[in-house]
Amino acid sequence: MAGNRTQIKIVGEILDTTMQEIDEQEGATVTHIIKNANISHGRLSRILSNLVSQGLLEQVNTNRSCRYKISPSGREFLSAYKTFREFSDDFGLNI
Amino acid sequence: MEFFLEISLNSIGFLVGIIIGTISYIGFKNTASPTLFRLSIAFFAIGIGFGILAVGFILDDMIFETGDINTGISMLGITSQVVGYWFIAFSHTIKTFFPKSRYFRSIGALPLFLVSFGYVETILRAVSFILLVYGAIETMISYAQGRKKTTLFVAIGLGLLGFGEFIGWYSFVFPETILYVVSIVIKISGLISVGIPVSKIPLRKISFDENL
Repeated sequence: MAGNRTQIKIVGEILDTTMQEIDEQEGATVTHIIKNANISHGRLSRILSNLVSQGLLEQVNTNRSCRYKISPSGREFLSAYKTFREFSDDFGLNI
Repeated sequence: MEFFLEISLNSIGFLVGIIIGTISYIGFKNTASPTLFRLSIAFFAIGIGFGILAVGFILDDMIFETGDINTGISMLGITSQVVGYWFIAFSHTIKTFFPKSRYFRSIGALPLFLVSFGYVETILRAVSFILLVYGAIETMISYAQGRKKTTLFVAIGLGLLGFGEFIGWYSFVFPETILYVVSIVIKISGLISVGIPVSKIPLRKISFDENL
């Protein structure tokens, strides 16, 4: 049975999206994150400002748009998140 | 000889429980996940339960010399294990029945006090058995959905823990047999099986981040 995603799962998916984009360009746009993480704009805005204030994401303002790229702390968090998501899955539980 | 076995096996149970609990707690500190917090409480309680039983046997062997573990200490150890099993079952209950309700998540501790105030050891073992069977079934269902081998090991481990509790309960009926030792061996096998996912954790890469 698929339940609602937990907050931490959404954060993980947002960080994962910004991580995927880092090689191609300087961070991910809000539109791209909305599409990949499947989240509403209003909710995403709150989470993004929270992640930026915690130092997990860096906000990059360009002429045309506002982009978000993952910080070194964010990478560490994402790595730990993925490790322990597997660990929780092993116990048949959602992180 | 029997005391030596019981002390050794309960000590292994203590170590395995504490290791899994510590890994879960590191996970909780890194990710702030409530699931990992519940798992850490569960395995700390299970490990401490085995530890209390080991201490009980050591005390009787060295000081009291009655030939059997003190009933109070035994009850304390088993109660601690019941609390651990309850937290595992509760985590599955949240996933299965209350995926959307924060209210039910917040009052999760309430049934704990209703369950753990039983004073009869056999009742505690019966409760453990029920909780473990429930946890094993739920984990097996998760395995059927995800087909992860490690999930299967956890399901088998919880099943063995439940079977060990069942055999342990039977040892009250036949106290002079090796059923108690057999039950501990089965339970330790179960704990080791449950602990297999821990072997995949890259410990050196994980660090505490106080800002998270």
